[in-house]
Amino acid sequence: MTWTIARKEILSNLLSYKFFIVLLLIVLLVATSLFIMHRDYKQRMADYQVIRPKPGDPVALLAPNPLSIFAKGLDDAMTRSFEISTIGIEVRVGQRGGNIIYSFFTAPDFLYIVRVVLSLVALLFGFDQVSREREQGTLKLLLGSSVSRAKVLLGKWIGNYLSLAVPFLLVTLLGVSFLFLDREVHFSSGQLGRLAIILTLSLLYLGFFLSLGMLVSALTRRAATSVIVLLFIWALFVFVIPNLGTLAARQFVSVPSVRALSEKRQQTWTREVLQSERGGNWAEGVKTISRENDQMEQDYRLKFERLVRLSRDINRISPAASFLDAASEIAGTGIGEESRLKGEITRYKDSVIAQILANWNIENKNRQYPVFTYGPRSVAEIFAGGALFDTLWLIFFNILAFAAAYVAFVRYDVR
Amino acid sequence: MMKTLIIKEIRANFLSFRFLASFVILFVVVAVTALVLAGDYLRKLDEYSQRQAEIESYLRSYAHFNRIGNILQATQPPIPFQALVRGLTADVNMGEFDDDPLPVMFPLIDLTFIVTILVSLIALILSYDAVCGEKEEGTLKLMLSNGLPRSKIILAKFAGGVVTLLGPFLFSVAAGMLIILLHPRVSWTGADWAALGLTVVGAAFYISVFYLIGMLISAAHRTSASSIMTSLFVWVLLVLVVPNLSPYVSSFLAPAPSQIKIAREISRLTDVDRDNLGRKLMAEYRGEVRKQYLVLAERLSEAEVKRRVAEDPDYRKAYEADRAAVKRAWEEANRIQNAKADVLRNDLRKKEKAQTGLARSISMASPLADFSYLATDMSSTGIRNMLHFGDLSELWGRAFGDYAAKKMADMKAKVPTADLWNTAVDMTDAPRFRYTEEGLGGRVKAALPPFAVLLGTCVMLFAAAYVAFIRYDAR
Repeated sequence: MTWTIARKEILSNLLSYKFFIVLLLIVLLVATSLFIMHRDYKQRMADYQVIRPKPGDPVALLAPNPLSIFAKGLDDAMTRSFEISTIGIEVRVGQRGGNIIYSFFTAPDFLYIVRVVLSLVALLFGFDQVSREREQGTLKLLLGSSVSRAKVLLGKWIGNYLSLAVPFLLVTLLGVSFLFLDREVHFSSGQLGRLAIILTLSLLYLGFFLSLGMLVSALTRRAATSVIVLLFIWALFVFVIPNLGTLAARQFVSVPSVRALSEKRQQTWTREVLQSERGGNWAEGVKTISRENDQMEQDYRLKFERLVRLSRDINRISPAASFLDAASEIAGTGIGEESRLKGEITRYKDSVIAQILANWNIENKNRQYPVFTYGPRSVAEIFAGGALFDTLWLIFFNILAFAAAYVAFVRYDVR
Repeated sequence: MMKTLIIKEIRANFLSFRFLASFVILFVVVAVTALVLAGDYLRKLDEYSQRQAEIESYLRSYAHFNRIGNILQATQPPIPFQALVRGLTADVNMGEFDDDPLPVMFPLIDLTFIVTILVSLIALILSYDAVCGEKEEGTLKLMLSNGLPRSKIILAKFAGGVVTLLGPFLFSVAAGMLIILLHPRVSWTGADWAALGLTVVGAAFYISVFYLIGMLISAAHRTSASSIMTSLFVWVLLVLVVPNLSPYVSSFLAPAPSQIKIAREISRLTDVDRDNLGRKLMAEYRGEVRKQYLVLAERLSEAEVKRRVAEDPDYRKAYEADRAAVKRAWEEANRIQNAKADVLRNDLRKKEKAQTGLARSISMASPLADFSYLATDMSSTGIRNMLHFGDLSELWGRAFGDYAAKKMADMKAKVPTADLWNTAVDMTDAPRFRYTEEGLGGRVKAALPPFAVLLGTCVMLFAAAYVAFIRYDAR
């Protein structure tokens, strides 16, 4: 019986105007997003080829991550060029620096489309499941044929979920296979696995919003009321809570602003240069600069990690934040990965400085440094580092919303 | 009659669930945002003064002219408006090792966000069934049979709807302002009030745009169920997609070279290439001098040269000509290479400017971008302020240059052999960068284009809604 209801839902969806609009949105947005982010990736890759350091240069530069096509995250920050010298780490930015409009709006990557637009779409599939059938009078008929309410609800859920998930997966897979046609974009098998995990998370995330839609629909008498309530919940979950949460966390954890850190670094190295010119020992100066910067960095990291933890905990009230955190970490463009990269770069800087100090008398031009290599965390490490919790949290949200929808539906007055 | 119609609209809205829900949500979000942002502003203020104090203590003990540019820099202090509009002031700092990833992942929430996302959504929620809802209920027929002209009905619907929207919005903003002003350390000036007033006017236009979009769509649909689908579709495209795509699209249409690449090329041009060219020119110029002064052909030790310069006036002349040739060669090399570097730099700047301009124009198809530009420019947190900041720091740079020249002359007068660049000097008397917000006139001028676009969109949408309503089948 559940399947009959699911089929009925799918068929009635196929004919509806809603389905047409939703399909249009999915196709349009997923395709545009993949196209745009693919071009962006290629452009950054071309830049990377141009600015690649020569072997022996003390420069830490990562190639753009192909998964940034799906989850841009902090890839721009991670693929900056970090050039090491005796006075510290000099950073250069690529393309982005010149165009200020980037800073106004979020990157329209796949994650953004799923997190913001497709969650809304999932709500639209669920918002009138119960209340509309009551308004039309078909709910009475359906329940009159002695089907259990659990089966009705499950059938509705499955039918609508498939109507959403199938076109979504088809369009996404089509887009991904187009990416494969481009020889320059190379996904390793590990990255494909990560992509599969991201897709799974997306499906979980959308499932939650569908259940939420059905829950509110079973709590309201009219579809018009249900859509209003849902739109507000959606705005709160997707925008208000995550963005306000990070700001609120800053009220409790005091972290120096990044500007203050940069100023401090400038003060340290200029002071040491001055003292060496007054007759001090420059080698000692280099050591002091490196030590003080590392100290400051370590101090900052400690506080910053506390801030990130707190803001994550606050943000987890919203599944959208959980989804964003987990998916971007798995793509290797999340906050945790960036933090780790920074640590590695600091270590690399220390090794370069140690080498300079050890061979103090060799002329600068003739020095050769080891190449900077960075291996991103494995999926297991990422899961252990919080993504597993976020995934379970999403599953929990799913179960909670569906169970609540069931309870609400059981108590629903069909008249 | 018009008045009756408007009052009917307002009453109908006031009693509806959606109005109540909108009011509550708007009020709570604005109040919480104001509270959090005001706290954030005060925290930033404290940190700013602490940073300034650290710079002061550095200036007392370690300031030296060679590297003072790294220490004394023009920095933007927090301004009171940041408790409402954050704009571009988010502390991302991509050009330095210490960058802040949080605002990149979770963009900050402020009044601009509340207006552009929440209030526009509320406007659509209130208007998506303005025409087709009445048709469904059958009241449209009744109204039209009373001999009311359709133009009056649609105008009254628009006026009533916008008034009901503005009520809760203004009330919430007033509450937010109250929360901000309750902090004794927030000083809000007259210009700030005027800027806020104009921003609210801009918000009213923005809200009208979305109310009109809802009305237009409702007059183009037979049922409110399909009207809300189309409304949300249009809303998603205008608010969530077009602005975000704009910088990417413009980067394909108007490409600019990578900044790292240009920086590398410039450093090559002015370093290795300059040295090669300088050496080549030096050999050339010195060759000419040598042909002229045959005395230089002799290879002499440094001491010998010194002696000859002191004793032999002819040799001295030749020696000086040789020195001049060296100087000329390096000056020429520097001039040529710097000119090449300038070409690259200007080309980059021109291309970046073209790309930014294009991105801005594309994004202005979306009312969200228009209002964002309007609000950030009015509150001196946007692009206009960046330019203004640039002007101010240039002025200050010149004042500091004068100060440096005077100070160095004083140092030289005291100790003639002093190393002017690398000696620590007390620079606590140096002119400091003082940031002042741009006058209201300039800000209004910058906000005019987006304002005009919003107004034009309103007029066009109203005309379209009117036409659609005239052709609407009321049965």
